[in-house]
Amino acid sequence: MFEETPAVIERDDFCSLAPIGWLHHKMQDSFFLVVGTGSCQGFLQTALGVMIFAKPRFATAVLDEDDLGGADPLDGLRPIVAAIVAEHAPQAIFLASTCTPEILKMNVAGCAPPLEREFGVRVYPCRLDGFDPAYTQGEDHVLQSMIERSAPTDERNLVILGCLSPLEEAEIRLECAQMGLPEPAFLPGESALDVPALGPNTVLAAVHPYLFGAAAFAQRERGCAMHKSVFPYGPDGARAFYETLAAAFGKTVSYAEREAEAWAALANTIAPLRDKTIAFCSDAMLELPLARTLRAAGARVPLVGTPNVYKKFHAAELARLDGVEVLERPDRFALFARFTALAPDLVVANLNIANPLEGMGFAVKWSTELTFQPIHGFSGASTLFGMFATTLRRHEALAARRVRDGAPGAPINLDYFHLAGSNR
Amino acid sequence: MKLALWSYQAPAHVGVSKAAASFGKIHCVVRAPKGDGYSTIMLAMFERLGVFPPLSFCAMSEATLAGAAADLPNMLREIDAREHPEMIVVTRSATAAVLQEPLDGEIAMMRPGEVKAELFMASTHPVRDTELSAFARTTREIVAHFATDTARSERPSVNIIGPSLLGFHDRANVESLRKSFDALGIEINAVVPLGATPDDLRTIGRAWVNVPTAHELAKPTLDYLRERFGTPYVDALPYGEAGTTRFLRELCGLCEIPADRIAAAARGAQLLWYSRTVDAHALSSKRVAVFGLPSAAAGLARVLREELDMEIEFVGTYALDHGDWLRERVADLTNEVLVTDDYRAVARAIDRTRPDIMFGSQMERHSASGFGVPCAVVSPPAHILNFPLGYAPFIGYDGANHIGDLVNQTQVLGLEHHLIETFGPRGQGRFAEAAPEGIHEAGSAEAAAVAVAEAGDLRWDPAAEKLLGRVPFFVRKKARANVEKYARERNIATIDESVMLRAREHVGG
Repeated sequence: MFEETPAVIERDDFCSLAPIGWLHHKMQDSFFLVVGTGSCQGFLQTALGVMIFAKPRFATAVLDEDDLGGADPLDGLRPIVAAIVAEHAPQAIFLASTCTPEILKMNVAGCAPPLEREFGVRVYPCRLDGFDPAYTQGEDHVLQSMIERSAPTDERNLVILGCLSPLEEAEIRLECAQMGLPEPAFLPGESALDVPALGPNTVLAAVHPYLFGAAAFAQRERGCAMHKSVFPYGPDGARAFYETLAAAFGKTVSYAEREAEAWAALANTIAPLRDKTIAFCSDAMLELPLARTLRAAGARVPLVGTPNVYKKFHAAELARLDGVEVLERPDRFALFARFTALAPDLVVANLNIANPLEGMGFAVKWSTELTFQPIHGFSGASTLFGMFATTLRRHEALAARRVRDGAPGAPINLDYFHLAGSNR
Repeated sequence: MKLALWSYQAPAHVGVSKAAASFGKIHCVVRAPKGDGYSTIMLAMFERLGVFPPLSFCAMSEATLAGAAADLPNMLREIDAREHPEMIVVTRSATAAVLQEPLDGEIAMMRPGEVKAELFMASTHPVRDTELSAFARTTREIVAHFATDTARSERPSVNIIGPSLLGFHDRANVESLRKSFDALGIEINAVVPLGATPDDLRTIGRAWVNVPTAHELAKPTLDYLRERFGTPYVDALPYGEAGTTRFLRELCGLCEIPADRIAAAARGAQLLWYSRTVDAHALSSKRVAVFGLPSAAAGLARVLREELDMEIEFVGTYALDHGDWLRERVADLTNEVLVTDDYRAVARAIDRTRPDIMFGSQMERHSASGFGVPCAVVSPPAHILNFPLGYAPFIGYDGANHIGDLVNQTQVLGLEHHLIETFGPRGQGRFAEAAPEGIHEAGSAEAAAVAVAEAGDLRWDPAAEKLLGRVPFFVRKKARANVEKYARERNIATIDESVMLRAREHVGG
């Protein structure tokens, strides 16, 4: 069906506005103001629509024909920011430029300082566009804008970079205390004003593989030491992450026993994954670390699509992916052709293509869940592997029953909607 | 700039692609950043398509900003080779329009016959058009492109205009009409755009009559077909039992079919009889309001007023261009017609009138729930719940039955209400014993406190209790049970944060 590599690539993930979903939830005193089109607004309400139940702390300043004609964006933004400040009283506003302002070369970022002065509310300018970045990289851009406001320090402190749930943060806090490391600061914290001080003695540890930009910025502009480990997914990842943290503070700590213990506790959860073949579509950039820990759990992962590979930032992950073919930003249909040849037991894919892939006969784990479930560290491993194992088990059980009963459960195709002449 | 929190309508390119991709053997290409591509997710998820929808995004990237060409021809060649559509409709999002790329030029440069599909640029304006106007206009353009002169069918036949992918219960709506048409001996010539292939469109002039399912979606196509072929269309909307009968009488007149055949089509219609039964008598004291797409709002309001004898507080629509049409249609039903695309204005109207039942879109359901007003969803914007597996039409006789069920499911039944008034709800009426002390709703703070006490042998330290409080409420109870089971199995008396995390590691949750 799809033999040749097409020249034009179709992307299957979301706009990088998506992380507003978890970031505005994390930073309860923030407001996200998106400068863009009705399409940006449509995406936000589609992706984050359930949050309209509460008073939403995100909104779109939709560009009109005056703006397209070159009006000063500050004039348009002033009354909008005034309304937001009056209604929500946020501690900080994230002012996001999107595709259209970029095309128009509209200086949205330049509006941040005067707005901050006029309204007395911190305004972080950031770029959340739907061109090239993976959708999760919206978080990268937001965190970078926060790092720009960090105070300098010479203190030997520890900063955990990346949006985590309280459960995940608790584990890191406890492990650091156990190892005698400084109490970690988290970026983002619960307030949008919580930006830890950063300096040449800071150990900055990113917990997500999509935070290259913010980490590199902190290293370049504040001289922070970059944490060089795999990311803390799965017991193998957690072990390496903590041991490397300890080493950064001159301590030798072994988590070997802890890791073994964790795998033993996970034995039942990961049993269904053993020797199963799992392939990844290019999506949230979680693909490399998840492939690595799934392999450690006994699965085979021959093929991984991923939107962006950063050789240095992902070096530790790549080093553990020996024998895995990593395709950077593959074409959708070219990748499916490879899947057809590989016949994996499980395909990990974005919601956009999950049902059609099921229709093609693959068992599909929808990937979006992986970005909002607490799957980091030792304590998140059961949740992480459980999602894959459950999908596999369910798919196998249902397929067996369909075969037994001779009821194939055929997918809905477009013929289903062709009703003309149906009563001729 | 205009502050937007939430909109009833999607941007124009979504309207174009919804229309174009609904036709059979037609593919739609949208020039846009990949971020604009979320409408394909709705297609894949809501319609549960087990195939790739005939909708592709030709993604703009940083390279585009640096001056790289759209490379549209390559994408068109690939789609042509892979899908073999008869037509590829090209449109662009507002963002792409700002760049003013010469897409027409790129298409014009392609060699004749290089792709087998016909290439077609939609003419909608990416900023000025709305989802609705873009849908209606694109449907007309594609119909006009393929329509050819053709003899009228021998037997009476109709085109159904309006249903589409992502339409509101549209496949069921067509099925409901088909059952009535079968009973009357009327053929369905084409359903537009849902599934209509270019072949269906070439012979669209065969039909004796056109039947719109929604005025706002069908009007340009209806006008075009009347002008081109002289085909009349039915003006009545097939909502409700009496409404469907009026609709079929008009249709029978145009099809030269004796109206006494309608009785056969109406077999199984129960709404008007239900309305006479004692269970429904209490509906006369009920006040309702309707807000949504113009045709759904007008159609529903008339059923509720004329067939169920309910009082209408207000009728409204977010399709601003169709406000006058709606005003005219419901002038005899209500004193207030609300035409606004601001969901907060609708919420204020619900709050002010406090109807017994609200009929609206998913947004009105959200708003109404805030005021404790029950709401039936009868219009897009829709939710995946509006794409049921089963048969739930809103129009035709079956649709009338479904509307009756919806009224019943949304409010407390009349007779039941009366009995409760008399005897009180179970456990709280005058014959019931006083509720024992200490009963609390699951999930409340009190329940948590009781649960702590009941843990008995176990103690939660404050930090762990706080952390548990951060677990989403719908899994908190399970998480607590898992942690306590873990602690008991290991003879741990005090649950602190580390015990909690260890438990998560072992049993999940």
